[in-house]
Amino acid sequence: MSLPLLSFFKPNVEAKEASPVTVTSPSGDRAQVVILQQQGILKGDTVDVNLIKKLLNQGVCHVTGNSLPSGAWKELFTPKDIVGIKVNCLGGKGISTHPELVMAVVEGLRIAGVPGSNIIIWDRLTNELEAVGYKVNWQGEGVRCFGTDSNYEQEVEEVGSVGSCFSSILSRQCTALINMPVLKDHDLSGVSLSLKNFYGAIHNPNKYHDNNCDPFIADLNSHPLIRKKLRLIICDGLKGMYNGGPGFKPHGSWAFQGIIISRDPVSLDRIGCEIIEEKRKEKGLPSLKEVGREPKHITTAFKKGLGIGDMKKIEVIRS
Amino acid sequence: MKDFYSRRKFLRDAPLCLCALTFSSKFTRLENWFEVIPAAFAAEPPLKEVKFYRKLDDLRIECGICPKECKIADSERGYCGNKENRKGTYYTLVYSQACAVHNDPIEKKPLFHYLPGTNALSIATAGCNFECKFCQNWQIAQFRPEQVESTTVTPEQVVKMAKDQGSPTIAYTYSEPVVFYEYMYDTARLGRYQGIGSVMISNGYIKEEPLVELCKYLTAVKIDLKAFTERFYRETCSGELKPVLDTLEKLKKIGIWYEIVVLIVPTLNDSEKEIREMSEWIKKRLGCDVPVHFTRFHPMYKIKNLPPTPVNTLERARKIAQELGLHYVYIGNVPGHEGENTYCPNCKKMVIRRTGFLIIENRLKAGKCSFCNYPIPGVWEMPPALQVKKL
Repeated sequence: MSLPLLSFFKPNVEAKEASPVTVTSPSGDRAQVVILQQQGILKGDTVDVNLIKKLLNQGVCHVTGNSLPSGAWKELFTPKDIVGIKVNCLGGKGISTHPELVMAVVEGLRIAGVPGSNIIIWDRLTNELEAVGYKVNWQGEGVRCFGTDSNYEQEVEEVGSVGSCFSSILSRQCTALINMPVLKDHDLSGVSLSLKNFYGAIHNPNKYHDNNCDPFIADLNSHPLIRKKLRLIICDGLKGMYNGGPGFKPHGSWAFQGIIISRDPVSLDRIGCEIIEEKRKEKGLPSLKEVGREPKHITTAFKKGLGIGDMKKIEVIRS
Repeated sequence: MKDFYSRRKFLRDAPLCLCALTFSSKFTRLENWFEVIPAAFAAEPPLKEVKFYRKLDDLRIECGICPKECKIADSERGYCGNKENRKGTYYTLVYSQACAVHNDPIEKKPLFHYLPGTNALSIATAGCNFECKFCQNWQIAQFRPEQVESTTVTPEQVVKMAKDQGSPTIAYTYSEPVVFYEYMYDTARLGRYQGIGSVMISNGYIKEEPLVELCKYLTAVKIDLKAFTERFYRETCSGELKPVLDTLEKLKKIGIWYEIVVLIVPTLNDSEKEIREMSEWIKKRLGCDVPVHFTRFHPMYKIKNLPPTPVNTLERARKIAQELGLHYVYIGNVPGHEGENTYCPNCKKMVIRRTGFLIIENRLKAGKCSFCNYPIPGVWEMPPALQVKKL
C-alpha cells in the first residue's frame, strides 16, 4: 500500500528540538561518519517514525556541528534549493530506502524552509518507487516523487571511463542532493552504499560491471553533476544485507536498526563496508576480498579526491 | 578511374537515390502502425525465459548467449541490459517488444549477394552486448528497454507484416539481435515454415550452441568485423575479436550465406597492415568468395572528434583486399561509388550496378554472370519453405 506522502509532508516546524548533541567540527582533511542505532526502531517491517526523526536530527547535528536540528538543516539547505533525494528501491520492499526515513528527511528540509515543491524524491524507475510504498506525485502540490524512467539527457557525458546520459532530474531539476542508499552487499561491487547508488542516475549502468565496477563507480561520482550538488548522505541501515545483494535475500539480511550519516561519500562507504565485513565475519563468511568482490571503488574514489578513505582520518561517532 | 560514376549518371540516378535515402534513413515511426507507449509507463510485457543460461548458487545465473558469459545476481541484468535475473530465473525483457520496425532495401543491411532489389522487414529491440564508441544506433542499442519507446509485435505479427508488405525476408538489425535471441529465433522459425526468410545483422559475438541452433532458421547473416586487433575490440567496442572470428569460421562450416562489413574509422583501424592481415585471414580461413564491405564511418556517439572516413582510405582498403585475391570487395556509405557494384571475377564485367540502396541494373541470370556464365555466389532465390514433419 502506498503511504500518504502528501499529508505527511505538512511542515512541522513546531516539532520539539532534539536534545543538544556533542559538537565535533569537520575539517578539510578529516571526515566524520555518524552511526546512530536504536533497538526497536524497526519492529518487523514497521518503522518507529518518532524514533527515526530523533536519530536523524541527532545525526544531522553531529555532521554540521550545530547543537540544534533547525540550525543544522538550515546550514545544509536554503529555501532556494531544489533538493533531490536519491533513494534506492531496486531491492523492493525487502531492502530499499524506507519511506518513513525519507519523510523524516523531508521534514528536516521543511524546517530549513525548503518548499515541498522544491523537494524531489527520485530513483531510476517510477514503478520501483511505487512498489516500495512511495506515492508518486509528478507535479501536484507538495513534495514530488517520480522516477527518471526514460527522461535522460540526449547527449552523452564522458567522465574518465564512464560515458553516460544522466537523469534529467539530476541534471536539470536538482540544485542540491541528498543521497539515501541502503546498507547492503553487492554481487559485483562488493557493497552498494553511497557511491554505487548513483548507478541509478545514468542510463547504462549495466555497461560498468566489469572489474568489480572499478574505476567506473569512482569516475561517475567525480562528475560535477554529482560532486558539486551532493550535500548529505544518509544511509538507511534499518535493515542491512551482508550477503546475497543487491536483490533482497532474507537469509543474508539483518536488522542493523540504525542509520549512517556523513557529508563525505568515501568515508561513509568505508565505514559502511566495515560494518558489512564485521557482520560477514560474525556469520562465518569469508571477506569480500576473499570471495573476489573487494570494494575497490572506495579506494579509487579516495585516490581521485572524492573524499577521505584513510581510516585514521575518519572520525566515527556512534550514538 | 575505370567505370567511375559520371556526372551524367549521377544526375540520372540522384532523384531515385534521394527517395531511397529519405525513406530509409530513419526507422519507421512506430506510431504509424501501433499505439506507442514509453516502456516505463506501459504494463510489463509477458516475460520470456532466456533460452541459453545456467543456474548457479544463491539465485545467481550465468548467461549462455554470448561470450561475455555474464554472471548475474538476483534482481540484476547482464551487460546487454535487456535480460534480468528474477529470483534465479533469467528472463528477456524484450520478447516481442520492437522499438524499430521498418521495411528496408536488403542493400541497406548491407547484403549484396542476397535477393538484390528486395525488401527486408527490419526489426530491433533495445540493447547490445557491445558498446562501440562509434555506435550508429546508440539511442536504442545502448539503452535499456524501459528507456526506449517500443510496442508489442509478436513473431506472428512480424511474419504477417512481412508477407503483407511483400518482403521476402525479415532482418534482425539496428541494435544487436544476439541480445534479443528468443524473439529472433521464434520469428525466424515461424517465418521459415511460411516461406519468409530471415537474416541476422550482427556483431557476431555469440556462442556456438545458440548460433548453430539459430542458423537452422536463418537464410543469411551479416557480420560486422569491427577491426582486426584485440586492442580495438577491447578499447573501442568493449568486446573481443577472437569469438567473432570463431563465428565467421563456424558460419562457413555451417554453410549459410554470410557477408562481412568492416567500418573503417580513421586512425583507429585503417592501417594498411591491419587491412592486409584481415584480408589475408579472410582469404585463408573463409575463402575468396565471401563479400567484404569497407564502409565509411561518420562521427557519432562517443567518437565525434574524428572526421568521416576519406573515400580514398576506403579505396585503398578495397585495393589491398582485391590484390590479395578477394573477389567481392565493396565500398559502403559512399552513394554512387563504383565500389558499390558487383563485378564478375572471371570476365571483370559489371553484373549488378547499384546506387545507394537501389539496384540500377542486374545482369545476373540464375545466379550466373550473363556475359560469361560464371557462377556468382549468393542467395539469388528464396529457399523453399520448411515443411512441418508429419508423424
